[in-house]
Amino acid sequence: MTAGPKLSHTAALILQAIHAGDGYGFSVMEMTGLPSGTVYPAMRRLERDGLIKSQWERQSIADTEQRPPRKYYRLTRSGHAALEASQKRYPLLAKLTEAGQ
Amino acid sequence: MTILRIASLLVPARQRAEWLAEWSAELRYIDRHRPQMALRFCLGAFRDGLWLWRNQPFRFDSAAACISALVFAAVATALLALWLRPVHLLGPLEILVAAVLSLLILPAVTTFSPGDYSGHGRAHRWGFLALKIALLVPIINFGSLDLGVLIAPQMQPHGLIVGFIAGFRWALLDQRRRCPVCLRRLACPTRIGTSSHLLLEWYGTELICTRGHGLMHVPEIPASSYSMQRWVELDRSWKSLFDVPAL
Repeated sequence: MTAGPKLSHTAALILQAIHAGDGYGFSVMEMTGLPSGTVYPAMRRLERDGLIKSQWERQSIADTEQRPPRKYYRLTRSGHAALEASQKRYPLLAKLTEAGQ
Repeated sequence: MTILRIASLLVPARQRAEWLAEWSAELRYIDRHRPQMALRFCLGAFRDGLWLWRNQPFRFDSAAACISALVFAAVATALLALWLRPVHLLGPLEILVAAVLSLLILPAVTTFSPGDYSGHGRAHRWGFLALKIALLVPIINFGSLDLGVLIAPQMQPHGLIVGFIAGFRWALLDQRRRCPVCLRRLACPTRIGTSSHLLLEWYGTELICTRGHGLMHVPEIPASSYSMQRWVELDRSWKSLFDVPAL
């Protein structure tokens, strides 16, 4: 029997990028090399499945940097567990995102 | 920004403002640091918008919403046909022949097998399917008349046959994705297992009734243990896990 949900390679890569990077959409795109049309729907799916959760940046921080506030994503507890399982399944996962940084 | 605004039309209305704010914020950053990527980035918004549209939680979810939408479509196509005043009208016998011909072609595009429900709600399930088909007939008939006037009258018989095949296929697919107890659309499709473990475990997609009535196991490859989709009823002990009480 399987212990938990098995993620596709792309989903695992995105999860790793959220975990290792800044956690907003464009940083995930840069780290993974995936286009926006792949990254954003995958992040919606991961959020729906409770593996990541999103939070809007505070307006004051955005105002200081003179830009609109961004939406940040971070891993939930089940997201961390899924990432650990994926890292065992895809051993090169961590290296791929390191290369993208 | 115009591309993002057009793509935002795909996003369900209640999520649109937040969705546009997220994409605009990222676009502002890309415009500043990687302007050459801006167009490609914006085009990806269509896929994201389409994903949200396809996965919105309330889309003809209940049987009543589905029937209301079909009634609306039937009235709209009939009114359009009255307004367009088509000259070439097909008789009831010709419509019946087109419907029978479509039914003969239908097994090539989908299976007739409804699945294994172990006798759950047989009467209201078949009643719902019959009502959907009864409403699809005028929609397809008037729709093909409208198409005949708008494009070419010779297209009407072909439109009728293609329409019947597409309509009947949709009716069967929609029926197989509904809870046999409350007739709501099943949600949260989850892939289970892998094809290499087919011998020992089942491999396919599992869907759940959001009211907690049960699970639908849909095999990816029909095997001797799972030749067709199977409904597994959840007993009352599961009830506390679902927000909306089971009907």
